[in-house]
Amino acid sequence: MPLMTDKERPAMAANETIGTAYASPPPRQALRWLTARLEVRMLLLAVLIAVTLSLASPYFLTTINVLNLLDQSVVVGIVAIGMTFVILTGGIDLSVGAVAGLTGIIFGLVVPDLGLPVGALVAIVAGGLIGLVSGVLISYFGLAAFVVTLGMMSIGRSLCYIFSGGISISNIPESLSDFVYTKVAFIPMNVFVLLVLYLLAYLYLGYTKGGRTIYAIGSNAEAARTAGLNVVGYAILPYVVSGALSAVSALLLAGKILSVDPLAGNLLELDAIAAVVIGGASLFGGRGSIIGTLIGVFIMVMIRNGLNLMGVSPFWQGSAIGAIIIAAVLVERLVSRRGAR
Amino acid sequence: MQATAAKETLFTASGVEKSFGRTRALADASITLRRGEIHALLGANGAGKSTLSRVICGQIRPDAGDIAYRGKPFSIRRARDAIDAGISLVMQETSLAPDLSVVENIFLPELGRPGLPRFGEMRRKAEDILSRLGQRAQLPLDGDVRALSAAQRQLVEIAKALAQDADLIIFDEPTASLSPGEVERLFDIMVKLRDEGRALAFVSHRLEEVFAVTDKVTVLREGRTVAADVATAKLTQTELIRHMVGRELSQIYTERAPSEHAERPVVLEVEKLKSAPLVRDVSLSLHRGEIVGLGGLVGAGRSETLEAIFGLRRRDGGSVRLNGKPFAPRKPAQSIRAGIGFVPEDRRRQSIVPDLSVRENLLLAHLGAHRGFGLAYRRRDEKVSELLAMLGLPADRLLDASMLNFSGGMQQKIIIARWLMLDPKVILLDEPTKGVDIGTRSSIYAMLRAIADRGVAVLIVSSDFDELLGICERVVVISDGMSIADMPSAVLDEEKLTLLAAPRTSMERNVRFLRDLAATYRGAAFWGLIEDEKLFCLKVAVADQRAAPGFGDGAAVDFGETLIPAALAAAKSQFVAEADGGLNTLIVDVAGSRGHAMGAAGLVLPHDTEPPDAGQLAAVIKAHYAAQD
Repeated sequence: MPLMTDKERPAMAANETIGTAYASPPPRQALRWLTARLEVRMLLLAVLIAVTLSLASPYFLTTINVLNLLDQSVVVGIVAIGMTFVILTGGIDLSVGAVAGLTGIIFGLVVPDLGLPVGALVAIVAGGLIGLVSGVLISYFGLAAFVVTLGMMSIGRSLCYIFSGGISISNIPESLSDFVYTKVAFIPMNVFVLLVLYLLAYLYLGYTKGGRTIYAIGSNAEAARTAGLNVVGYAILPYVVSGALSAVSALLLAGKILSVDPLAGNLLELDAIAAVVIGGASLFGGRGSIIGTLIGVFIMVMIRNGLNLMGVSPFWQGSAIGAIIIAAVLVERLVSRRGAR
Repeated sequence: MQATAAKETLFTASGVEKSFGRTRALADASITLRRGEIHALLGANGAGKSTLSRVICGQIRPDAGDIAYRGKPFSIRRARDAIDAGISLVMQETSLAPDLSVVENIFLPELGRPGLPRFGEMRRKAEDILSRLGQRAQLPLDGDVRALSAAQRQLVEIAKALAQDADLIIFDEPTASLSPGEVERLFDIMVKLRDEGRALAFVSHRLEEVFAVTDKVTVLREGRTVAADVATAKLTQTELIRHMVGRELSQIYTERAPSEHAERPVVLEVEKLKSAPLVRDVSLSLHRGEIVGLGGLVGAGRSETLEAIFGLRRRDGGSVRLNGKPFAPRKPAQSIRAGIGFVPEDRRRQSIVPDLSVRENLLLAHLGAHRGFGLAYRRRDEKVSELLAMLGLPADRLLDASMLNFSGGMQQKIIIARWLMLDPKVILLDEPTKGVDIGTRSSIYAMLRAIADRGVAVLIVSSDFDELLGICERVVVISDGMSIADMPSAVLDEEKLTLLAAPRTSMERNVRFLRDLAATYRGAAFWGLIEDEKLFCLKVAVADQRAAPGFGDGAAVDFGETLIPAALAAAKSQFVAEADGGLNTLIVDVAGSRGHAMGAAGLVLPHDTEPPDAGQLAAVIKAHYAAQD
C-alpha cells in the first residue's frame, strides 16, 4: 500500500525537519511544508480524535470537560517535557514516576517546617539531584540509560516507603491548592504552568546552543564531539531537567489532592514515554519535538477521558491506549519512511 | 607431503569481476593456488586484494569469472559452501565470538550443525591441532577469547581453519597487529602448514614479509592481475613495486623543491608526537598557505596523527606548536577555538548530523566554538551566503532537512565549509575524496587550493598516492607510526612513495646498525637503492660532518648531485676515493636472509681517515643484512 509515489518521497523527506526553528518555508511551498510537518500531522490526528469523541459523547466538548482535560494533562505533560529532552539524546528515563513520588514525600515532610516556597524548592532541587546522578552515570561513565534509570526507579520508590512510613501525608497547606487553582487569564494556574514550561522548552530546544546540542547528540554524538560540542555535559542536562520537572509535577499533584502518597506517580514513566512517542520522537534520539509531545499528551488524555465518558470499563482502557500508541507510531513510520536508519 | 615436481593445483580463479555500486573492485583478477605453496597476494591500497580473498572464501559472490577447485568448476553460493569444501579465511579483523571459550571458538562452525555439540571430543581435537602446530602452550583452551592477545586470537583462527580440515587457507594481512616475535612464530606455523601439503594465500603489503615467507606472488592493480604466479625468489623489491604501481621508473628526479614556502611563517609544528599504540614518532611542520600530504599505508597511524593533533586522541609524548605557542588541546572545542579544523575520514559516522538541517550542519562547528547560551547563527549570515556561493548551492537548499540527500561530493564540500565558517588557520583532512565520484574530486581539489591560497595551512591524509602528489606541495610519509620522510612532491612519484611507505620491521635495527657503523669509523653510513644513475636513500647516519655525503633520509638524487658520485658509479665493495680527493666511500650490495636484494649500504669517510679493511667490513655489513628477513 504505497502511501505516496516515489517521486514525492524525497521531497517529503527533505522537509522532514523536526523541531528546527530555522526551517521557515518559502511561501510557495507553505502548504506542502505544513502537511509534511510531523506536528501538523499529529495535530490533525488529535483533532480527528476530538471530533470522533465529541460525536460519540455529548459531554466531551463541554467547557467543564475541556477544563478537566487540561487539568488531567498537567502531571503527565510536565513529566513528558523532561522525557522529551532525554529521548532526544537517545536515552530514556524510567525513574520519573518514582522521582515524582519521592519528591512529593520529601515535600510533604519538609513543608510544615520550611513553608511552601522553600519546601517546593527543596523538592525540585532533590529531583534535579537525582537526575544529575543518573545523568553522570549514563553520560560520563557510559552506563546504559535503561539500566541506570531502572535502578533509580527502584531506589526512588523504596525511599518513598521508607520516608513516609508507607502511608500518605496529608498535611499539605491549603495555600498550595489555592495557588494551583488561581485563575490566570481564565485558565487555572497549573495549566498555565504547563503551558509556560512548554513554551520555555520549545525556545530552549530550538534557539539555544544547549537545545541544538541535545538534538545533535541524539542524531550523531560522534559528529557533535568532533565539531567541538560539549557532548558529555549536554547529555547529562536532560536527566537533571527530567528529575526537576518530575518534582514540579509532584507538587502540582499534591496541590490538587492535598496529600502526598508513597504510590503517587506509579507508572507515570510509561504515560510520559507514550506521549513522547505518540508525539513523533524517535527512541534512537535526534528526532522529535516538544510541540509533538504536547499533542501526544493531549491525545492520550483525550482518549482516556473519552473512554470514561462513554462508560468503557477501565480494564479496557489500557488496551485502547496501547493500541493507539502502536498505531500512531506505525502510521508515522509508514508516512515518513526514510532510507537511512 | 609430496615435495618436488610440479605441485598439485588446488584452486584457480580467472577473469573475476566484482563491482560494489559504481565502484569496480575487481576487473579481471586471476590467481592460482597450489598445494605446498605459500602464495602472496599483493597490491597497493584499494587494488582489490581483500575483495579477491573474500571471493575465494565465498564471502562475496563475483559478478563474473571462472573458479575451479580441486579441478572441478566451483560455484560458491555462501560462506558455508566454502567451509564445507575446506577453504578458510584467517582475517585481519578477527571473526571470533569474544565471550565464548577458545575451544568453542575453534569449533564455532560445528555449532551451526544439527545435533548436540560434543565438548570432550572438541577439546581433544583442539589439543591435537595445537600440539601439531607446536603451539599447545600458547593457548588456554577454556579461557574466554576476550582475554586473549591479538596473536593468540589469530592462533585461534588458524586452529579454527584446521578444525575444518581446511586445505586452502587465506591469511588476510595477518601480521598487522603482531609484534616481530609473534610474526616469526606465525611464519613458522605457515611453513608447517605448507609442508603438510596445504595451499596458503598470504595477503599483505609488507614487502619484506612477502620475501620472507612466500613462494609465489600474484600482484593486483586496480582490480586486475598484473603479475600472475611469479616465483618470489626471482623478484626484487623494486620490480614488485613497479608491478604494484604500474609505471616504469619515471624520470622526475631533477626538479628541486620550490623553497618559497620556507620563507612563509610556520603555523603548525609537530615534534616527536606519540599517541599509543599507532602513533610512535611523528614530526612535521605546516607553513601558512601550504598544502602538505600525509602519506602512508592504511594502519600506519595517519588518521590517528590528525586526531592526536586535534585533541580527539590522548597524546603520550611529543609537542605541537601552533603559531609558535605550545598547543595541547584536551578536547576538540579548544582546537576549534585556536583555529584548527578537522574533516574526519568517515563522513556518515563522524561528520554528518542527519537530523539537523543543512544550515545547522554548516553551522555545527560554529556552535562548538561559540561561547554563550544562544545560537548566534545570525552573526554568521554573511559567511553562510559567501560559503553557499563558493559551494554553488542555492540558498533554499539550506533548509533541506537531511545532508543525506546530497551526493558524497557535496556532503564533503559542506563539511569542509563547516570549518571554513570559522576562518581556521589550519585545516586537517582525512581522506577528503573518499566516496566522492571522480567528477567531483577535481572541484574538491580546487576548493582546497583556494583555501590554501587564502593563507590556511592544509594537511591532507590520503591513501591515493596519485592524489597526494597531485595536490600537495610537500609529502610527509608515515610508516609504522613514524614519519620517515618529508619531501617536496616534485621529487616524488608513486613508486617512491610506495617504497617509503612500506612498513619496515627491520628499519629500527638498521638505523641502529648504520649509527654504530658511522660512529665506529667516524664517518657517515647510509642505506638505499641504487638504480639507473640514481640513489634513493632510505636512511643516512652521520657521525662526522666532514663525511656527510650530500643527501638526507628519503632523498632521491642523481649521482652527480651527491658528494660521492664516483663511488656510487663504481659500487664495487671497496673504498673509492672521489676525484677531488674529498671523500672515501665503500658501497656494498646487501641481500636479506633468503638472498633477496635489499639495496646497498655504504660507509663514507673523510679523506684523512685511514680506511679499514674493505673486505672484512663488507662481510660485516652483508652479514647484518643477511640476518634479517
